[in-house]
Amino acid sequence: MIRLENIEVTFGDFTAIPQLNLEVERGEFFTLLGPSGCGKTTALRTLAGFIDPAAGEVFVDGKAVTRLPSDKRQVGMVFQNYALFPSMTVWENIAFGLRVRKEKTAESDRMVREIAERVDLSASQLRKNVAELSGGQQQRVAVARALVLQPKILLLDEPLSNLDAKLRHQLRQQLKELQSEFGITTVYVTHDQDEALAMSDRIAVFNKGVVEQVGTPQSIYDASATEFVCTFIGDSSVLTSDFIAELNRHSGGILDPGANSYLRVEKASLTQPAGNSDAVPVQGVVVSRSYHGLHSRYTVRCHGSDVRLLVREDGGVHPEPGGAATVYVRPVHVLQYDPQTGEAVGNLALAASRP
Amino acid sequence: MKATPVRSMVRSPFVLAVGVVLTWFIAAFLVWPNANVLIETFFPDGRFSGRAAEKLLSSERAMKSLGNSFLLAAALSVTVNVVGIFIVLVTHYFRIRGARILFLGYATTFIYGGIVLAAGYKFIYGDKGIVTALLGNLFPGMDRNWFSGFLAVLVVMTFATTTNHMLFVANALKGVDHQTIEAAKNMGASTWTILRRIVLPMLKPTLFAVTILSFLTGLGALSAPQVLGGREFQTITPMILTFTNSPTSRDLAALLAVILGVATILMLAVMTRMERGGTYFSVSKVSSALEKQKITHPVGNAIVHVAAYLLFAIYTLPVALIVIYSFADSAAIQTGQISFDSLTLDNYVRVLTQPSGLRPFVISIVYSALAAVIAVGGLLFVARLLQKHRNWLTAVFEYLLHIPWILPSALLALGLIISYDHPNPLVGGAVLTGTTVILLVAFVTVKIPFTLRMLKASFASVNSSLEEAGAIMGARTLYIFRRILLPLVLPTAAAIAALNFNNLLDDYDTAIFLAHPLVQPLGLVIKANTDGAEGVEGVSNTFVYTVLLMVITGLTMYLVYGRTRKRDASPAQKDPAPEDLSSKNPAQKDPVLSEA
Repeated sequence: MIRLENIEVTFGDFTAIPQLNLEVERGEFFTLLGPSGCGKTTALRTLAGFIDPAAGEVFVDGKAVTRLPSDKRQVGMVFQNYALFPSMTVWENIAFGLRVRKEKTAESDRMVREIAERVDLSASQLRKNVAELSGGQQQRVAVARALVLQPKILLLDEPLSNLDAKLRHQLRQQLKELQSEFGITTVYVTHDQDEALAMSDRIAVFNKGVVEQVGTPQSIYDASATEFVCTFIGDSSVLTSDFIAELNRHSGGILDPGANSYLRVEKASLTQPAGNSDAVPVQGVVVSRSYHGLHSRYTVRCHGSDVRLLVREDGGVHPEPGGAATVYVRPVHVLQYDPQTGEAVGNLALAASRP
Repeated sequence: MKATPVRSMVRSPFVLAVGVVLTWFIAAFLVWPNANVLIETFFPDGRFSGRAAEKLLSSERAMKSLGNSFLLAAALSVTVNVVGIFIVLVTHYFRIRGARILFLGYATTFIYGGIVLAAGYKFIYGDKGIVTALLGNLFPGMDRNWFSGFLAVLVVMTFATTTNHMLFVANALKGVDHQTIEAAKNMGASTWTILRRIVLPMLKPTLFAVTILSFLTGLGALSAPQVLGGREFQTITPMILTFTNSPTSRDLAALLAVILGVATILMLAVMTRMERGGTYFSVSKVSSALEKQKITHPVGNAIVHVAAYLLFAIYTLPVALIVIYSFADSAAIQTGQISFDSLTLDNYVRVLTQPSGLRPFVISIVYSALAAVIAVGGLLFVARLLQKHRNWLTAVFEYLLHIPWILPSALLALGLIISYDHPNPLVGGAVLTGTTVILLVAFVTVKIPFTLRMLKASFASVNSSLEEAGAIMGARTLYIFRRILLPLVLPTAAAIAALNFNNLLDDYDTAIFLAHPLVQPLGLVIKANTDGAEGVEGVSNTFVYTVLLMVITGLTMYLVYGRTRKRDASPAQKDPAPEDLSSKNPAQKDPVLSEA
């Protein structure tokens, strides 16, 4: 559906994106995820036609659109702040593109009302000024305004970033529902990994203008392809080579002690996991514990590593700081990366091969 | 801030002292003079009389001037908007080559205006003007008086008053969220559609306010019609002036001033009403800075470029000629023909060393400096009290202090003249009319509203915990004011004083009514020179005064605004390449950075 081929974007002598290749399938919810300034928005704007790439081609439906202006690419966009026109009513905002296309007024009105209904905006809301709407309603106006032109692709540029946490969760859900209802190919930009994991069919993780990994949320999380992806997504503890050696001693040496090793916090436990005989017990001392109600976060020092882990507060008795503890780790959960290249090594290839 | 009851407020001796002085000042100089104009007009002998109105209706000149004023006001509202919007768009919205240079050209009205500008245009395009002299050599049969009357006044005032557009409209334009423009582009809107449907509607409230200000400027115009209007085009304010000077027609002057005042109040009321209802606040929390738009149509682009540079020439030609001819000898000024060796420093030496040349300059500087310092110094306490205590009493004081803002200066001046031309108990039985004090009073008065607003805002911006911290450590109110608040507000106060000083330096509209006959400030001398009072020497003196005024004003503006303007303007003013970098840099999109 969408293909970015060898895209290079420069601003003066600053190269924002050196070389980008991406493919997005039809109907997919595809997310560009990365920290501030990683090039994800630049990639989206290149796709939207607001930025001319220095090199490379953009294809939509097999057709090169690289030189086409934004409005000829059949892409709709929802902006970071929605970019609703404050001097117009909701109806006028949604109808804007139709009126630019010189659709007949009656036809525009029909289309506006139809799309408004589908995104759950009432007829009385259509007459309101955009400033009178809540954040969630504004978002739906922005989506409706983009969708009424029947684009092939919907681009969303951090549309939830300027909302408070509670509303963000609620709108995330609504947005995802709208997307699956319309079935439209969607490219979503965010720096919020939680959002990306929860909403996407596939994610591309960006770092310094380069795509580090493309994959489903689960593969990105469980089998992070590079050290950057591993540290950017989720929460993990750094493991020392001592710790790896200890694991190898118990399990027959499948891990590389020279690699940079990480363990996700939820993958370690203080009790023997049921039914998993390959979990290795490692002795340590509790350094700290912080209580969070649902769970407690522990830091246990073993073999030079500060292993962080979560313990469910289910009413049981748990060790206190200063006390001894046994940490159970499955070597297959250890994520390992080459210290020079940052690429995944050994164990991860194994993990990636798991279903 | 919560309301303070009046009773607890007046318990403080400090508040009481300020209150007494303030009440006296407001009563003596803001309320009584203007009430007196009304009384003089409608109750000349203690009983209601329609005589002034009858006189007005039977005076053809006066009626014509009324009509002319409204004509000028209406025409000016249109022309200033056309020119003003255009120059704002080419300097801030469209990608125009050399936009920075254009901006400087259009901004020349920041450093010279009023009588100085009117005089400048007359010396260049008037019957004895430099350009007219040059043209006269080429076309001996031409009408030497071509630049006078309604059109000349309209042209001069149009180019003199686009300052408001450069300030307010340009600022409103910066508030337009660039994402809305991209959204419109994404939906297929053309450059013209975006401008018409998205950008201009956003500017509508500001444009409306600026239009009213232009209308009022036209209505109350004094110097331009006087200097360039000629016999056939006179407006209200020059009429008021004429009628004021003869005691038998003072009631007529008063009535005209009242009409002008009522019209002004009505327009301002409409403006406040519209302002309250019509501002479009951007609905977004994170908006992105405006990027300059390329005009894609090649012919349209060329036309806009040509028009922009043509306007640039109109704006800068008078300034350039004044600067050049300020060095020229009298022969060059008379014929318009200039050569390199007719340029000397003689004019400057004469103005700066001869008492007659230097005197008006010194008088203006003394008056302006005194008025600026008194206004700011006095209002420091008042602004603080009004900002700290909110109740009906302070609200009344604040409204009264805004009287000079809603009334035209001609009315204020006339009020002072007729109220203090006989011993008056309000000022200890003294006569003020004809003394040097009355102009100072007027200067201070007209600067009150602006000074008060700015000072109040400055006090409001001081973190209130600083004051509370001082109080908790045992400091008294006055001590806190002196040691904590004042140092924080002082830079703003200095800036306000500087702007006031600038503004009064070339004042004409107030001085023409009130100045002492032997202590004439600069504006009056310049005006006299346009009538040929001092011959060619007067003309070259005026050029020198103008250059010196521009230097002083420019310097003050730079000191006050220079640094902030530079910071504000840079994203919009930069040439295309770095601009792309700064505004399209992906880092800027990320909320962490944009919030920071």
